[in-house]
Amino acid sequence: MTVGQANLLQGTLDPMILKALAVQQMHGLRISHRIEQITKGTLQVKPGSLFPALHRMDESGWLSPSWGESENNRRAKYCKLTKAGQRQLGVETDRCCRISLAIARALEAS
Amino acid sequence: MSLFSSLRSFARRIIHRQEVDNDLDDEIRSQLELMVDQKIEKGMNRDEARRAAKIDLGGVEQVKEQVRAARTGVWFDTLLQDVRFGLRMLRKNPGFTTVVVLTLALGIGVNTAIFSFMDSILVRQLPVRDPSSLVTLNWHSQLGFTFSMHCDGCTDNSTKSGIVADIFPYPVFDLFRKNDSLFSSVFAYCSARNLSLIIRGRAGVAKGEYVSGDYFRTLGLAPGAGRLIIPDDDQISAAPVAVLSWGFSQGYFGGPQKAVGQSVVINGIPVVVVGVAPPEFFGVDPAANPDIYLPLKKAPVLTAASSVSITGAWYLDQNSYWVQMMARLRPGVTLAQAQAALAPQFHQWEQSARTTRNAGTPLPFLVMGDGARGLEVLRDEYSKPLYVLMTLVAIILAIACANVAGLLLARGAVRRREMALRICVGAGRGRVVRQLLTESVLLASFGGILGVFFAVWGVRFLTLLLANGRANFTLHAKLNWQVLAAAAALSLLTGIFFGLAPALQSTRVDVMPALKEVRAGQSRTRGRMGLRQILVVSQIALTLPMLAAAGLFVRTLSNLQHVELGFNRENLLLFTLNARQAGHQNAELIDLYNNLRQRFSAIPGVRRVTLSASALIGEGWWGTNVLVSGKTINTRFLSVGPDYFGTMQVPLVLGRGIDERDQSTSTPVAVINELFAKANFDGENPIGQHLTFLNKAHRELEVVGVSKDTRYGDVKRAPAPVVYFAYNQGVWPVDDMTYAVRTASDPLAYVNNIRETVHQADPRLPVQNVRTQAAQIDQTMSQEITFAKLCTAFAILALTIASVGLYGTMSYDITRRIGEIGIRIALGAQRGDIVRTVLGKGVALVTTGTVIGLCASLGLTRLVASQLWGISTTDPRTFAAVIAVILVVGLAACLVPARRAMKVDPMVALRHE
Repeated sequence: MTVGQANLLQGTLDPMILKALAVQQMHGLRISHRIEQITKGTLQVKPGSLFPALHRMDESGWLSPSWGESENNRRAKYCKLTKAGQRQLGVETDRCCRISLAIARALEAS
Repeated sequence: MSLFSSLRSFARRIIHRQEVDNDLDDEIRSQLELMVDQKIEKGMNRDEARRAAKIDLGGVEQVKEQVRAARTGVWFDTLLQDVRFGLRMLRKNPGFTTVVVLTLALGIGVNTAIFSFMDSILVRQLPVRDPSSLVTLNWHSQLGFTFSMHCDGCTDNSTKSGIVADIFPYPVFDLFRKNDSLFSSVFAYCSARNLSLIIRGRAGVAKGEYVSGDYFRTLGLAPGAGRLIIPDDDQISAAPVAVLSWGFSQGYFGGPQKAVGQSVVINGIPVVVVGVAPPEFFGVDPAANPDIYLPLKKAPVLTAASSVSITGAWYLDQNSYWVQMMARLRPGVTLAQAQAALAPQFHQWEQSARTTRNAGTPLPFLVMGDGARGLEVLRDEYSKPLYVLMTLVAIILAIACANVAGLLLARGAVRRREMALRICVGAGRGRVVRQLLTESVLLASFGGILGVFFAVWGVRFLTLLLANGRANFTLHAKLNWQVLAAAAALSLLTGIFFGLAPALQSTRVDVMPALKEVRAGQSRTRGRMGLRQILVVSQIALTLPMLAAAGLFVRTLSNLQHVELGFNRENLLLFTLNARQAGHQNAELIDLYNNLRQRFSAIPGVRRVTLSASALIGEGWWGTNVLVSGKTINTRFLSVGPDYFGTMQVPLVLGRGIDERDQSTSTPVAVINELFAKANFDGENPIGQHLTFLNKAHRELEVVGVSKDTRYGDVKRAPAPVVYFAYNQGVWPVDDMTYAVRTASDPLAYVNNIRETVHQADPRLPVQNVRTQAAQIDQTMSQEITFAKLCTAFAILALTIASVGLYGTMSYDITRRIGEIGIRIALGAQRGDIVRTVLGKGVALVTTGTVIGLCASLGLTRLVASQLWGISTTDPRTFAAVIAVILVVGLAACLVPARRAMKVDPMVALRHE
């Protein structure tokens, strides 16, 4: 599944990014790889959706970006999770679980 | 928290625009590099890796766009972009921009100026405490009610139903004051007219007002300096005090504080200035604006030296009507209640005051009015021209908006292709519409800002215009912000609507036909063109009535100015001397006047000098009963000095005029005019006949001459029978005299000489009311002059706007059809045919507009019939001239684009894209 417009799945993209960054700070490319990894290939985030999301979360104060060097000694912008971001991760996780539970129940009901 | 961060990054983005943008660029590009590296690791070569990476990324610019779109305040960026682009577009078309902005600005500015004025005059309240609880007191009566009238009360005899007046006998003032339950207080006032002053040895003249003790208290005013008149001052035995107006104290004493405590000699009586009125106060009549307020009970002392003096008996006389009154209602009492309670009291009083003389004549009844705005005089004088003005301005605004609408529609049509192209390369429809909207708003904003300036200047200009040279015009119109906002909103709406309509249209249609248009604006929809035609036609139709009105007013003015007066008004200087008020009396008074006359004749450059009791035009006329040929008739008369007819250049038909040989000791003589002779001595030779004045002096006069008829009192009224007699022969009391000096050149150059001469004869005698006869006559026509000037100005404005609109429409039409014209010419059409086709269209528009306008005018001019004189509302010459003007101007407006059509080079036109 390709995350295209991000309208419908914005709710899921944010927690994915936060989760990916929970482990360590990364740059854009790595984040999208990581998300692909942890969702076992279900979500492939295109740069066109990833970068706007990153900037949005930066504005909200959940990330703090900084310039650094990548593995190949190239310049890249690294995003680090802030304390607020960590809190948000917990909130998002909660929300997603509740919603998916509710949807599952609704679909199972006869 | 998140809001704060958003705002912070928003601010950062604005302040460090370039850095933020570079940063983003770096970020995306660095990611691209990383992706390239990754691909290379996987085994692609450099070029393939690069290409693959770019595809994966989706394009650097696109990603950047998407990031930008996701940020807060993206609207601000787009707005800035829109505004910048809009400004660029406006700059590229200076003609269009100028016309639209100017049109809007004129519409907004002029409209606001007029309405501010209207507001000031019609709605402005007196600058006193709680004006809404003030009431004016008047009485109405049927014709036939007789009363003695003194002072300058307001009497309106022109109503067919009877007399309306606001002057009362003093005992009625006492009566009304007893009504404590209705009024918290009542005050009375009376104009003191011109007072002769001596301030620090300098003689001068000022307008005065006698006010009762409660005047200032009722109005709730605080003094500007010192104190105001109180009831204790308003006693016969009190020391005379005065209160000055703010402006007067500034002019004569250099400041209100400096005036308090000063002693001034008024009409020969020393008076102490106890205070100054507050700055904005002008009395209760905006037209009066007195300089000095004096206690009412001191009037006998102050008028003792006048020929018409207010005596102590006046305060008791039940038949002398001379004081005006106003009152303040008690809280909770309405006007209707007060009227119902007071009217019977007044009626009863009037009945008991009947004397045998006026028994049987109709009784007056009391009418109370709203006093918040003071007296009606100024309002009546100016409300008519202002209503006319309002109509004119409304029409102009309509024309202006139609113009703007037409131009915007035309622009929209021309830019359809551009819009289609934009949509094709990816702008959303909303974006394009927003862009066009921004342009319209920019235009409207510029128009609005310029409109504010026009409004401010307009108010100042109008004040100048309506003051018409009067020195103490009391109307200071303030800019009415509500009207400004309303006019601005209207223009904004017009701009938006007519800018938006084509935008919505052009973005809704299929883009392909629009792109296929080979020339800009070559649309096949006829609807919009029809609308533009309607706009142009309506503009012309609206202009025609204005031109007609202007023409009629100008003709009226011309008629008035060329009226046969019966005397020569050129190079005649007029001024008034009131030697009686300066202390001279009886024989010595007449000697002084005579002496001065001879001194004036000695001034080099003065041809002839004479004097009379009042000027011939602009000061009303004197009338009384005379006994002639056994009948008592009422006739007009004028008391004159020697050489009157020679100086005024009134021809004598028979006998002689009044001259030096008519002394106080010789036989009293009279000169009559032709009408009088015809009416009373028809057939016989009037010379040698006698007539007797039936006043107190009861003199019998012998007719020694007959003069030609002149206008007397008013330019518009036809001449009437008049008797002239010598002022020094005791026929009528001598008071102030108006001198007429015929000069060799510009009369105003002699004023200083005159003043010097008078000062040498008597330093206490001020020279009042200096003016030229020509100027005085113009003053009587001030309203007609105003109308003519205003209407002409507006008509020209309307014509300009309409012709610009016509030119614009024709111009865009040609631009639209250049390709078609080129093809036609290439196929062999004659240039003459092309011009004829183009012109034909324009002429059709102009003609349609003219016809519609003509029909409208013939009906509408009836509305201004009351303002015309000597000309009918459907005067054929005026209308012919107006139609000619419109046709010529319309033709000229069409001619320029037509010439452009004629000069089209087919090769250029066909390649034009």
